[in-house]
Amino acid sequence: MILVIGGAFQGKKDYAKEAFFLADEDFTDGACCSEEELYQAKAVVHLHEYVRRCLQEGRELTGLADSLVKQNPDIIILANELGSGVVPVDAFDRSWRETTGRLCCELAKRADEVHRVVCGIGTVIKG
Amino acid sequence: MLILVTGGSGSGKSEYAEGIAVSLAERDGLPLYYIAAMKPYGEEGKRRVERHRRLRAGKGFQTVERYVALKGQELPEEGVVLLECLSNLTANEMFEPEGAGDGTEEAVLAGVEALSGRSRHLVVVTNDIFSDGITYDEVTGLYQERLGHINRELAARAEQVTEVVCGIPLQLKKEGSMI
Repeated sequence: MILVIGGAFQGKKDYAKEAFFLADEDFTDGACCSEEELYQAKAVVHLHEYVRRCLQEGRELTGLADSLVKQNPDIIILANELGSGVVPVDAFDRSWRETTGRLCCELAKRADEVHRVVCGIGTVIKG
Repeated sequence: MLILVTGGSGSGKSEYAEGIAVSLAERDGLPLYYIAAMKPYGEEGKRRVERHRRLRAGKGFQTVERYVALKGQELPEEGVVLLECLSNLTANEMFEPEGAGDGTEEAVLAGVEALSGRSRHLVVVTNDIFSDGITYDEVTGLYQERLGHINRELAARAEQVTEVVCGIPLQLKKEGSMI
Protein backbone atom coordinates (compact mmCIF):
# COMPACT_ATOMS: atom_id res chain seq x y z
CA MET A 1 0.00 0.00 0.00
CA ILE A 2 1.19 3.49 -0.86
CA LEU A 3 -0.35 6.65 0.61
CA VAL A 4 0.01 10.01 -1.12
CA ILE A 5 -1.12 13.00 0.91
CA GLY A 6 -0.97 16.77 0.65
CA GLY A 7 -3.19 19.83 0.59
CA ALA A 8 -5.73 20.50 -2.16
CA PHE A 9 -4.37 21.37 -5.64
CA GLN A 10 -0.81 20.33 -4.85
CA GLY A 11 -0.45 18.00 -7.83
CA LYS A 12 -0.84 14.70 -6.01
CA LYS A 13 -2.42 12.91 -8.97
CA ASP A 14 0.17 14.08 -11.50
CA TYR A 15 2.88 13.13 -9.06
CA ALA A 16 1.38 9.67 -8.53
CA LYS A 17 1.00 9.12 -12.28
CA GLU A 18 4.66 9.83 -12.83
CA ALA A 19 6.04 8.15 -9.72
CA PHE A 20 4.00 4.96 -10.02
CA PHE A 21 3.49 4.77 -13.80
CA LEU A 22 -0.27 5.20 -13.67
CA ALA A 23 -2.74 6.37 -16.32
CA ASP A 24 -6.00 8.26 -15.75
CA GLU A 25 -8.02 5.09 -16.14
CA ASP A 26 -6.13 3.47 -13.25
CA PHE A 27 -7.77 5.86 -10.79
CA THR A 28 -11.06 5.25 -9.04
CA ASP A 29 -12.68 8.38 -7.65
CA GLY A 30 -13.52 8.35 -3.93
CA ALA A 31 -16.09 11.07 -4.61
CA CYS A 32 -18.38 8.60 -6.39
CA CYS A 33 -17.05 5.02 -6.19
CA SER A 34 -18.74 2.14 -4.39
CA GLU A 35 -17.10 0.25 -1.54
CA GLU A 36 -16.55 -2.70 -3.87
CA GLU A 37 -14.81 -0.48 -6.44
CA LEU A 38 -12.54 0.85 -3.69
CA TYR A 39 -11.47 -2.68 -2.81
CA GLN A 40 -10.67 -3.48 -6.43
CA ALA A 41 -9.02 -0.19 -7.39
CA LYS A 42 -5.44 0.02 -8.55
CA ALA A 43 -5.39 3.61 -7.31
CA VAL A 44 -7.94 5.86 -5.66
CA VAL A 45 -8.13 9.67 -5.63
CA HIS A 46 -10.12 11.81 -3.20
CA LEU A 47 -10.28 9.28 -0.39
CA HIS A 48 -11.35 12.20 1.84
CA GLU A 49 -14.50 12.49 -0.32
CA TYR A 50 -15.19 8.80 0.21
CA VAL A 51 -14.96 9.48 3.96
CA ARG A 52 -17.38 12.38 3.62
CA ARG A 53 -19.94 10.21 1.85
CA CYS A 54 -19.63 7.46 4.45
CA LEU A 55 -20.25 9.98 7.24
CA GLN A 56 -23.21 11.49 5.39
CA GLU A 57 -24.75 8.08 4.79
CA GLY A 58 -23.95 6.79 8.27
CA ARG A 59 -21.70 4.06 6.90
CA GLU A 60 -19.11 2.53 9.21
CA LEU A 61 -15.46 3.48 8.65
CA THR A 62 -13.91 1.60 11.56
CA GLY A 63 -11.63 -1.12 10.29
CA LEU A 64 -11.39 0.35 6.77
CA ALA A 65 -7.58 0.68 6.94
CA ASP A 66 -7.22 -2.94 8.02
CA SER A 67 -9.60 -4.39 5.48
CA LEU A 68 -8.14 -2.29 2.66
CA VAL A 69 -4.58 -3.43 3.31
CA LYS A 70 -5.80 -7.02 3.60
CA GLN A 71 -8.01 -7.10 0.51
CA ASN A 72 -6.18 -4.63 -1.70
CA PRO A 73 -2.58 -4.61 -0.48
CA ASP A 74 -1.14 -2.92 -3.59
CA ILE A 75 -3.56 0.01 -3.71
CA ILE A 76 -2.22 3.53 -4.14
CA ILE A 77 -4.31 5.97 -2.10
CA LEU A 78 -4.49 9.72 -2.64
CA ALA A 79 -6.08 11.89 0.05
CA ASN A 80 -6.13 15.54 0.99
CA GLU A 81 -4.71 16.79 4.24
CA LEU A 82 -7.67 18.63 5.74
CA GLY A 83 -6.64 19.41 9.28
CA SER A 84 -4.46 22.50 8.94
CA GLY A 85 -7.08 25.21 9.32
CA VAL A 86 -9.20 26.97 11.89
CA VAL A 87 -11.61 24.60 13.64
CA PRO A 88 -14.75 24.62 11.44
CA VAL A 89 -17.93 26.09 12.89
CA ASP A 90 -19.99 23.27 11.40
CA ALA A 91 -20.01 20.04 13.46
CA PHE A 92 -20.12 17.81 10.37
CA ASP A 93 -17.05 19.54 8.89
CA ARG A 94 -15.21 19.08 12.18
CA SER A 95 -16.08 15.41 12.24
CA TRP A 96 -15.16 14.94 8.58
CA ARG A 97 -11.71 16.48 8.83
CA GLU A 98 -10.92 14.66 12.06
CA THR A 99 -12.15 11.28 10.76
CA THR A 100 -10.14 11.74 7.57
CA GLY A 101 -7.05 12.68 9.57
CA ARG A 102 -7.35 9.65 11.84
CA LEU A 103 -7.98 7.34 8.89
CA CYS A 104 -4.86 8.70 7.17
CA CYS A 105 -2.86 8.03 10.36
CA GLU A 106 -4.15 4.44 10.30
CA LEU A 107 -3.37 4.05 6.61
CA ALA A 108 0.09 5.58 7.07
CA LYS A 109 0.85 3.06 9.83
CA ARG A 110 0.06 0.19 7.48
CA ALA A 111 1.46 1.68 4.28
CA ASP A 112 4.80 0.58 2.84
CA GLU A 113 5.40 4.13 1.66
CA VAL A 114 3.92 7.54 2.43
CA HIS A 115 4.56 10.44 0.06
CA ARG A 116 3.67 14.05 0.82
CA VAL A 117 3.17 16.40 -2.10
CA VAL A 118 3.65 20.16 -1.75
CA CYS A 119 3.66 22.39 -4.86
CA GLY A 120 3.87 19.30 -7.02
CA ILE A 121 7.01 18.09 -5.28
CA GLY A 122 6.76 14.76 -3.53
CA THR A 123 8.75 13.88 -0.44
CA VAL A 124 8.88 10.33 0.83
CA ILE A 125 8.08 10.63 4.53
CA LYS A 126 7.91 6.89 5.11
CA GLY A 127 9.50 4.01 3.23
CA MET B 1 14.94 20.86 26.75
CA LEU B 2 12.03 22.52 24.96
CA ILE B 3 10.30 20.54 22.22
CA LEU B 4 7.55 22.01 20.06
CA VAL B 5 5.19 19.63 18.26
CA THR B 6 2.88 20.95 15.57
CA GLY B 7 0.43 19.45 13.09
CA GLY B 8 -3.13 19.74 11.85
CA SER B 9 -6.27 18.30 13.36
CA GLY B 10 -6.23 14.51 13.37
CA SER B 11 -2.54 14.41 12.43
CA GLY B 12 -1.47 12.22 15.36
CA LYS B 13 0.52 15.03 17.01
CA SER B 14 -0.78 14.29 20.53
CA GLU B 15 0.15 10.65 20.39
CA TYR B 16 3.61 11.54 19.14
CA ALA B 17 4.11 14.20 21.83
CA GLU B 18 3.01 11.78 24.54
CA GLY B 19 5.46 9.20 23.28
CA ILE B 20 8.31 11.71 23.50
CA ALA B 21 7.34 12.85 27.01
CA VAL B 22 7.04 9.26 28.24
CA SER B 23 10.42 8.22 26.83
CA LEU B 24 12.16 11.30 28.26
CA ALA B 25 10.65 10.58 31.69
CA GLU B 26 11.71 6.94 31.52
CA ARG B 27 15.19 7.78 30.30
CA ASP B 28 15.84 10.33 33.05
CA GLY B 29 13.72 8.74 35.79
CA LEU B 30 11.49 11.79 36.18
CA PRO B 31 7.83 12.37 37.07
CA LEU B 32 5.47 13.08 34.21
CA TYR B 33 2.96 15.91 34.17
CA TYR B 34 0.23 16.68 31.67
CA ILE B 35 -1.12 20.19 31.56
CA ALA B 36 -4.51 20.24 29.86
CA ALA B 37 -5.52 23.64 28.49
CA MET B 38 -8.71 22.58 26.78
CA LYS B 39 -11.99 23.49 28.44
CA PRO B 40 -14.42 20.72 27.55
CA TYR B 41 -17.44 22.54 26.09
CA GLY B 42 -20.53 20.44 25.36
CA GLU B 43 -20.73 16.77 24.40
CA GLU B 44 -18.17 16.98 21.60
CA GLY B 45 -15.66 18.68 23.92
CA LYS B 46 -16.22 16.00 26.55
CA ARG B 47 -15.66 13.27 23.96
CA ARG B 48 -12.39 14.90 22.85
CA VAL B 49 -11.15 15.12 26.41
CA GLU B 50 -12.19 11.50 27.03
CA ARG B 51 -10.33 10.35 23.95
CA HIS B 52 -7.16 12.10 25.11
CA ARG B 53 -7.58 10.60 28.59
CA ARG B 54 -7.85 7.12 27.10
CA LEU B 55 -4.70 7.71 25.05
CA ARG B 56 -2.80 8.80 28.15
CA ALA B 57 -4.19 6.13 30.48
CA GLY B 58 -1.57 3.90 32.08
CA LYS B 59 1.35 6.03 30.90
CA GLY B 60 1.97 7.59 34.30
CA PHE B 61 0.84 11.17 33.69
CA GLN B 62 -0.34 13.37 36.54
CA THR B 63 -2.93 15.64 34.96
CA VAL B 64 -3.23 19.32 35.80
CA GLU B 65 -6.01 21.39 34.27
CA ARG B 66 -4.90 24.93 33.55
CA TYR B 67 -6.87 27.12 31.21
CA VAL B 68 -5.25 30.55 31.67
CA ALA B 69 -2.33 32.24 33.46
CA LEU B 70 0.10 29.38 32.94
CA LYS B 71 2.85 31.45 34.56
CA GLY B 72 1.40 30.80 38.02
CA GLN B 73 1.30 27.02 37.60
CA GLU B 74 3.48 25.32 40.22
CA LEU B 75 4.51 21.68 39.95
CA PRO B 76 5.31 19.30 42.84
CA GLU B 77 8.69 18.29 41.39
CA GLU B 78 10.95 19.05 38.48
CA GLY B 79 10.04 16.58 35.78
CA VAL B 80 8.83 16.16 32.24
CA VAL B 81 5.86 18.31 31.29
CA LEU B 82 3.55 17.86 28.34
CA LEU B 83 1.53 21.00 27.64
CA GLU B 84 -1.47 20.56 25.36
CA CYS B 85 -2.22 22.67 23.55
CA LEU B 86 -1.29 26.23 22.62
CA SER B 87 -4.29 26.76 20.35
CA ASN B 88 -6.59 26.23 23.33
CA LEU B 89 -4.43 28.21 25.73
CA THR B 90 -4.28 31.13 23.29
CA ALA B 91 -8.04 31.03 22.71
CA ASN B 92 -8.67 30.91 26.47
CA GLU B 93 -6.44 33.91 27.11
CA MET B 94 -8.14 35.81 24.30
CA PHE B 95 -11.77 34.90 24.85
CA GLU B 96 -12.33 33.77 28.45
CA PRO B 97 -13.38 36.51 30.92
CA GLU B 98 -10.42 35.66 33.18
CA GLY B 99 -8.00 35.62 30.23
CA ALA B 100 -5.30 38.12 29.36
CA GLY B 101 -7.17 39.69 26.41
CA ASP B 102 -4.83 42.02 24.55
CA GLY B 103 -1.92 40.65 26.58
CA THR B 104 -2.49 37.12 25.23
CA GLU B 105 0.83 36.66 23.46
CA GLU B 106 2.82 37.87 26.46
CA ALA B 107 0.80 35.70 28.85
CA VAL B 108 1.24 32.53 26.79
CA LEU B 109 4.94 33.09 26.14
CA ALA B 110 5.67 34.03 29.77
CA GLY B 111 3.71 30.95 30.85
CA VAL B 112 5.74 28.62 28.66
CA GLU B 113 8.94 30.33 29.81
CA ALA B 114 8.02 29.87 33.48
CA LEU B 115 7.00 26.26 32.93
CA SER B 116 10.21 25.59 31.07
CA GLY B 117 12.15 26.89 34.07
CA ARG B 118 10.24 24.56 36.41
CA SER B 119 10.70 21.41 34.36
CA ARG B 120 13.63 19.38 33.04
CA HIS B 121 11.94 18.80 29.71
CA LEU B 122 8.93 20.59 28.32
CA VAL B 123 7.00 19.23 25.36
CA VAL B 124 4.56 21.77 23.93
CA VAL B 125 1.82 20.79 21.49
CA THR B 126 0.53 23.46 19.16
CA ASN B 127 -1.73 23.43 16.16
CA ASP B 128 -1.45 24.27 12.49
CA ILE B 129 -4.53 26.41 11.87
CA PHE B 130 -3.03 28.46 9.08
CA SER B 131 -3.33 26.58 5.82
CA ASP B 132 -6.99 26.56 4.82
CA GLY B 133 -6.69 29.82 2.88
CA ILE B 134 -9.95 31.18 4.26
CA THR B 135 -10.13 34.81 5.32
CA TYR B 136 -11.95 34.87 8.63
CA ASP B 137 -13.58 37.65 10.60
CA GLU B 138 -11.29 40.13 12.33
CA VAL B 139 -11.24 38.40 15.70
CA THR B 140 -10.48 34.97 14.26
CA GLY B 141 -7.80 36.55 12.07
CA LEU B 142 -6.26 38.14 15.15
CA TYR B 143 -6.36 34.76 16.91
CA GLN B 144 -4.50 33.17 13.98
CA GLU B 145 -1.97 35.99 13.98
CA ARG B 146 -1.33 35.68 17.70
CA LEU B 147 -1.00 31.90 17.64
CA GLY B 148 1.27 32.15 14.59
CA HIS B 149 3.49 34.60 16.40
CA ILE B 150 3.59 32.46 19.55
CA ASN B 151 4.51 29.40 17.46
CA ARG B 152 7.36 31.27 15.79
CA GLU B 153 8.72 32.63 19.08
CA LEU B 154 8.68 29.18 20.67
CA ALA B 155 10.13 27.47 17.62
CA ALA B 156 13.05 29.92 17.78
CA ARG B 157 13.68 28.96 21.42
CA ALA B 158 13.04 25.22 21.09
CA GLU B 159 15.80 22.66 20.69
CA GLN B 160 13.47 20.49 18.64
CA VAL B 161 10.52 21.37 16.42
CA THR B 162 8.53 18.53 14.90
CA GLU B 163 5.63 18.56 12.48
CA VAL B 164 3.47 15.44 12.58
CA VAL B 165 1.81 14.37 9.33
CA CYS B 166 -0.43 11.30 9.28
CA GLY B 167 1.27 10.17 12.48
CA ILE B 168 4.72 10.52 10.91
CA PRO B 169 7.12 12.95 12.64
CA LEU B 170 9.00 15.35 10.34
CA GLN B 171 11.88 17.09 12.10
CA LEU B 172 11.85 20.78 11.22
CA LYS B 173 14.56 21.71 13.72
CA LYS B 174 17.02 19.62 15.67
CA GLU B 175 19.72 20.70 18.07
CA GLY B 176 21.92 18.45 20.21
CA SER B 177 20.84 14.95 21.14
CA MET B 178 17.30 14.22 20.16
CA ILE B 179 14.65 11.82 21.28
